[in-house]
Amino acid sequence: MSDARSAAVAFLRAAWTPAALVAALLAVVVVASALGAEGGQVAITEMLIRVVVVIGIYVFAGNSGILSFGHIGFMCIGAYAAGWAACDPEWKGLMLTGLPAFLAEHRYPMPVAVLGSAALGGVAATLFGMAITRLSGIAASIATFAFLVIVNSVYANWDTVTAGTSSMVGIPAVVGPWTSLLFAAIAIVVAYLFQISGYGLMLRASRDDAVAAASSGVDIRRLRLIAFGVSGAIVGAAGGVYAHFLGILTTDTFYLDLTFITIAMLIIGGIGSLTGAVVGVLFITLVIEVLRALEAGVTIGGAAIALPHGAQEVGLGVLMALVLIFRPQGIMGGQEVPSPFPPAGSGRLRAGRIPESENGKFVEPVR
Amino acid sequence: MLKVEGLEVRYGRLTALRGVSLHVERGETVCLIGPNGAGKSTLFACIAGGVSATHGSVTLDGKRIAGRRPEQIARSGLSLVPEGRNIFKTLTVEENLRLGAFMAKDRESIQARLDEVMAHFPRLAERFRSSAGSLSGGEQQMLAIGRALMTGPRIMLVDEPSLGLAPKIVDQVYEILMSLRDEKALTLLINEQSSKRALRHANRIYVLRSGEMRLEGRAEDLQDGEAVMRAYFGFDERREVGEAAQ
Amino acid sequence: MITFLQNVLDALSLGSLYALTALGIGLIFGVLKLINFAHGDFITFGAYALIIPSSADVAQVLVGGWSWELLIPTVCIAVIAIALASDYLVFRPLRGASPPTLMAASFALSYVIQNAIMVIYGARPKSVNLWPVLGDQTHVGPLTIPNLNLVTIAVTLALMVGMTIVLRRTSVGIQMRAAAEDFRMARYLGVRADLVIGLAFVISGALAAVAALLLVAQTGSLTQTMGQPIALFAFIATVVGGMGSLAGAVVGGFVIGAIVIMFQAYLPPDLRAFRDAFAFAFVILVLVAKPSGLLRAKGLVERV
Repeated sequence: MSDARSAAVAFLRAAWTPAALVAALLAVVVVASALGAEGGQVAITEMLIRVVVVIGIYVFAGNSGILSFGHIGFMCIGAYAAGWAACDPEWKGLMLTGLPAFLAEHRYPMPVAVLGSAALGGVAATLFGMAITRLSGIAASIATFAFLVIVNSVYANWDTVTAGTSSMVGIPAVVGPWTSLLFAAIAIVVAYLFQISGYGLMLRASRDDAVAAASSGVDIRRLRLIAFGVSGAIVGAAGGVYAHFLGILTTDTFYLDLTFITIAMLIIGGIGSLTGAVVGVLFITLVIEVLRALEAGVTIGGAAIALPHGAQEVGLGVLMALVLIFRPQGIMGGQEVPSPFPPAGSGRLRAGRIPESENGKFVEPVR
Repeated sequence: MLKVEGLEVRYGRLTALRGVSLHVERGETVCLIGPNGAGKSTLFACIAGGVSATHGSVTLDGKRIAGRRPEQIARSGLSLVPEGRNIFKTLTVEENLRLGAFMAKDRESIQARLDEVMAHFPRLAERFRSSAGSLSGGEQQMLAIGRALMTGPRIMLVDEPSLGLAPKIVDQVYEILMSLRDEKALTLLINEQSSKRALRHANRIYVLRSGEMRLEGRAEDLQDGEAVMRAYFGFDERREVGEAAQ
Repeated sequence: MITFLQNVLDALSLGSLYALTALGIGLIFGVLKLINFAHGDFITFGAYALIIPSSADVAQVLVGGWSWELLIPTVCIAVIAIALASDYLVFRPLRGASPPTLMAASFALSYVIQNAIMVIYGARPKSVNLWPVLGDQTHVGPLTIPNLNLVTIAVTLALMVGMTIVLRRTSVGIQMRAAAEDFRMARYLGVRADLVIGLAFVISGALAAVAALLLVAQTGSLTQTMGQPIALFAFIATVVGGMGSLAGAVVGGFVIGAIVIMFQAYLPPDLRAFRDAFAFAFVILVLVAKPSGLLRAKGLVERV
């Protein structure tokens, strides 16, 4: 009896963070379903998919301290991979004449398609990562951004494979809140396992002090590459899920706007912790929904108020700037969910943020 | 003239300086010595306003300068020649020098200062219009000192003037520094790795190790070097002193 | 041969636009280590300054109808104002923050300006007919040259010469060059940070305004994202030229202009659509092979 109890406590102690995060998302889905709002299901599903995306970005950016502006490129790659797998073969034969036979002639179920998305995202990230992990801080961020432009440009123009600027249609739109919750949960678990793995811990150490980490024999490049690959796979999978949610793909979906929103979510939630990534998505989704409702118009005490179209985006941008100025560590400040179980040993993760130092060389503030 | 009291500087969790105090009187030459990573350059950068202190005070002629911007401190008569010299390589020698002098309003006083610097550094006059990036290490060091002089300082902080230079060049640099001290009554605070050189040129010596001030004394009282070495290396490594000290 | 010369002129004209924009981005990067994503939105803002704020579908020209002696300074002042306001509200509170933080902040700023323009002017593109005379063409022997290309190249050259004189001959110019190379050392010598940063934003804003006018004269239409593509290319131009090098930014602009036009002209037709992808892949290549840019060895080198 007490054995089972202590085993349960031990498990909860180890798995507290992912368990609490999944439980929180579950609660959101349950409450939203209970409220039963018509558009709510769609909003919740989109939010959960964004949880996967932002967690994917976090796996690299949070652990390595290098901000990436290119991850939506992996999402694009993943989404189109799922599209290739899941579209109606008849349509593919008509429109996507450049596809190889195993894609052109068959139709794969959603889980297989999403696996393909993850694989392609991971491979693309690993290849591209070989280039960018040679670079430091700002140069790496620029390169990730260039990557986004490249993916967008290629996918928008590669007509025989992506249907170009017209849309890829006919992907079964089978993903709803519960399916996306499942993927969000998987992403949380994968990201958490990575973060507490030897790779994750060493990478975080190198983020906090690159010089010390390098001198203790840590191969930072390899660690960054691994993180980049894992994170590309997660974001790629998110793209696959998103394709099965939208049912129709255009390259415009995966460009600057989505990049901005997901980065805003990560930074506002707190780039230094998994909880920050999840909280950021929840919080920003809430803000967006409120602003969207205000744009549609609300009646308060008989007076109708409607914000002009675009106010939602302005509000989000202002919010992100305010957070960067006044709380650069984000809402969570680099902390995970506070655990009711005393931490075993020194397992507590330290506060993280976009580091002020580049490769451990301190950048002294210019006042 | 310059007074530093209880200075503490932290980079994140790392404490670079812990309760450091020193003072430099008018006309004095003071050398700060200590091993690599002792915090000497941090101390200099902090005095000059490039790094902010978490605790402590810095005053120049009784006026608080800690927490003021680097440009304000430069304008109040304290000039820093940083470690590695940091000359502007894309600018010409002349432009580097003029940069130090725009605080002076009129052309004549700028020209007067230029002439004076040229008199001390004839080599710079020869290379006046060439790109500063093409100078040799020794010339760059002289340019850095000349440029600092152009600001018309009352006190000059020179961070590791001998860094990366051949001993003969270092002698030349010190010769010039000493002539500036004698002719212009310039107050000097020099950060020097070699205790021998410090003992030769300074009126007083400070030894900084691991972010703390270990020793202060008049150069003439420390000439045998024993006490300096002990402070420099700490007590345990006394046996290595023989090899490491030159 | 004729087509080649025609292409060269096109490349010079496009390169001019990139060079103007790259210089604006490079100046700010040099002093603040800030990669200003919002520079493209400064350009957009300058273009929209030509018309009366309204969400009506048909644009009502106000400033755009003035004579050029009045029009150009007005647009410059408008863009300089938003550049200085951006610094004051967003970047000044972030002095001392890391470059990626600054980059993220400018991303947010870009998003705000772009959507604020949408709130004020509505989402639909508007057409503006600025300086129709520039739409004419000049015939030089067998060459047909759009007047606009000539004006673009001439204006750019004039601005470059002007900037060079300011940067080389004036005290404040020397201070800016020094600050762009090593801001902290410049301050140790008494260079005032506020002055240099403020001036950088003023010049950057003015350059964005000129780019905006040339762009409107060329396209005749206004959209909320009109400045973005130029800024993206200018952005890679600064990388190619070596971030922090002002001359490099200008040269980089012309190099990218040439690459884009020549890709467009000489790539096999199947690959032409991927022009932009090639251009940006080139940037990654430059970053990896020569992080300091093609022109100068300083800046982004990995220092572990």
